[in-house]
Amino acid sequence: MLLELKGVEKRFGGVVALRKGDLSVEAGEVHLVMGENGAGKSTMMKIIAGMYERDGGEMKWRGESVNFANPVEAAKCGIAMVHQESLLAPHLTVAENIFLGREMSNRFGLVDRGAMFDRARRLIEEHHFPLKAEWKVERLSPAGKQLVEICRAIEHGSSLLIFDEPTSSLSEAETHEVFKIVRTLRDRGTGVIYITHRMDELRSVGDKVTILRDGETVHSESMATLSTRNMIRYMVGREVASLYVREPVPPGKEMLRVHNLTSPPAVKDVSLTVRAGEIVGLAGLIGAGRTELCRAIFGLDQPSEGQIWVGDQQVAIRNPRDAVRYGIALIPEDRQKTGLARELPISWNVAMANVPSQYGILNHGAEQDMTAKSIERLRIRCDSGAQKAGRLSGGNQQKVVISKWVARGAQVFLFDEPTRGIDIGAKVEVFEVMDELARQGAAILMVSSELPELLQVADRILVMRQGHLAGELPGRTTQEEIMRLATLPSSGTELEEL
Amino acid sequence: MKTVQRLLPFITLIILFAALSIATPHFLTATNLSSVVRQTAVFNIMALGMTLIIISSGVDLSVGSILAMGGLMGTMAMSKGQPILAGVLVGILTGGVFGLINGALITRLNISPFIVTLGTMGIVRGLALVVSNGLPVHEIPKAFSFLGEGTVIGVPFVLLLLVACALFVHFLLDHTRLGRYTFAIGSNVDAAIYAGIPVKFHTTAIYAIGGLLTGLAGMIEASRLMTGQPTAGQGYELQAIAAVVIGGGSLRGGEGSVTGTLIGGFIMGLLANGCDLLGINPYWQQVIIGAVIILAVSVDELRKRRAV
Repeated sequence: MLLELKGVEKRFGGVVALRKGDLSVEAGEVHLVMGENGAGKSTMMKIIAGMYERDGGEMKWRGESVNFANPVEAAKCGIAMVHQESLLAPHLTVAENIFLGREMSNRFGLVDRGAMFDRARRLIEEHHFPLKAEWKVERLSPAGKQLVEICRAIEHGSSLLIFDEPTSSLSEAETHEVFKIVRTLRDRGTGVIYITHRMDELRSVGDKVTILRDGETVHSESMATLSTRNMIRYMVGREVASLYVREPVPPGKEMLRVHNLTSPPAVKDVSLTVRAGEIVGLAGLIGAGRTELCRAIFGLDQPSEGQIWVGDQQVAIRNPRDAVRYGIALIPEDRQKTGLARELPISWNVAMANVPSQYGILNHGAEQDMTAKSIERLRIRCDSGAQKAGRLSGGNQQKVVISKWVARGAQVFLFDEPTRGIDIGAKVEVFEVMDELARQGAAILMVSSELPELLQVADRILVMRQGHLAGELPGRTTQEEIMRLATLPSSGTELEEL
Repeated sequence: MKTVQRLLPFITLIILFAALSIATPHFLTATNLSSVVRQTAVFNIMALGMTLIIISSGVDLSVGSILAMGGLMGTMAMSKGQPILAGVLVGILTGGVFGLINGALITRLNISPFIVTLGTMGIVRGLALVVSNGLPVHEIPKAFSFLGEGTVIGVPFVLLLLVACALFVHFLLDHTRLGRYTFAIGSNVDAAIYAGIPVKFHTTAIYAIGGLLTGLAGMIEASRLMTGQPTAGQGYELQAIAAVVIGGGSLRGGEGSVTGTLIGGFIMGLLANGCDLLGINPYWQQVIIGAVIILAVSVDELRKRRAV
């Protein structure tokens, strides 16, 4: 056994990212690790690669218990990782990146550029990579950058290589190239862990599969015996569904209409409508263009084509200010980075989009009233409105972000992954807030990668795949149906082939 | 314990004041104290504008040059026969215009404030030398000296000006939408954009206000020297930044206060004055002040890290 994990745990503050991670990988095996977004796959890999330290559980490398304090220690054992987002030095050349941190030196202790470039050239030729050793990494496509990382791993003689969703940014042809490399590595006795959640690419590479759900390893089986149907069943699970179910309200007039919206490169020809009182779910894999669709509607990206109506008025939205003026609100995916001013008091965050003032002079009393109302209405748990927003728990931070738009009186809400990083109890409270908003006549578009959530909350579910709208499903559909639309190139016949 | 740490700059100022009172009999005299006030007023007023800019997560390296330009334009207007008040206004507005240009360049070209103001620091200094031909302006009405040297019922007039400017900036920060947006932009500019705040407009306004205050400081400097010097104010930008930072402002933005900046400014003023009185070599003064800046900021960082 090359690598063995037993009951590995990892917490970030109050959030449990991994509670029971089990995994065993043999040499010369391609091991797929699958699961929905947020199931704990990346966390598990980062623990293996020494980027995170585990909080509990056991990890064995070649039968011996190990504990990597940093990626260098993991690399010394022969573990390398090809990252989702490139971790290369963009201004250096391909060759310099391959040898970064392990430069070859001549007998005077100086960097031997000639030897390094020769070695890099030979490596690239051997694998027929479309690269040149002299190229600067910043010029490369995402696929090219991954090839450089692969070169690094091969050069360092790694005996375990981790691919973290390598194909999410690759084209079809590049994907095949990566698969070929993966097979070559396996045949030489290298262990490969391959993270993915795309159904269509599995059979051709995997030997074994381990499935994670909600931070737990739920199943491990040989690829040959596991059916696609069962694989999906293990990934999505069942038990969460009973926690909260929204009672839909009869929808009112149309509040948001998007017609043939194209926002290159991620959103292609999307049309949709959301009516008052409706919560419309937007499902799809990472990279399907859901966030980008929200950004385009909110004026953060400029669509190249298409029209947007708010109510019965066609609007031109050039920037978020326009969007806010038309009553659109975006609760962004990355709360910490774009939603919240962490260092500022709760009250300032609540009032940010609608500072109570006259002739530019603040009305502190009105601001305090506004904050007090928001804290009460959204049940934000805090000491007082003067507390720094960053000190709150994830769920309460999210409520502060939402209350900013409630205070503004927004009518169209774009929720992008509203429950990311918040615990179950707070999730239900966020749903209740969304439900209340809808009941009062707001129109809600909700992006979520957690399928059970969409089934609980949404009146209907739109599914995006590779920038397009792949289809619409009723709110009472199944996770299998959503996954089918989100992952497969076309209709159901190909499901049988898998 | 936390309060003690937050009040550290203020406590330092008091200790410094007490120590100097004991160490030398020349310190606690009306003449000396009013000279400290006069000496520090110029860069304290600049530092007030810098406070706004630093809270917005920016920085303005060109204030020293703008100070010279403001003083120069104001005194030139007077030397051309304009009344004193008009001259002072010209100086202030000149500062405002260059602040506006800084803000416009930063927001429209989307270049970092450090780079833009590094550029305008050179450009404005060069323009001041071009306009004046490198020569100071001397033909100034005698009464103009009141601005920098006059007293009102025994109180230095510049102190009154400083208090007025401090109240103005404090009001801006705590009681206006502009002030609120300044914190929002500095704390998390993306969140500010996502909230629909007109970030570019307000950023530009912040630099313009900084410029106006710098223009006023330029006129005070000109009044104290009774010349319009194209070379005035060199290195003042660093003094102003230091005052803000010692007073708890963070170059990462979102933090800073008027009281903090004033305390920081006075700590630097007292250090310089104390060194003079104690006969410490002026070369060493630079070393001491530099060390104090690093010390103050590292103590502040330590406090924040512990608070998290």
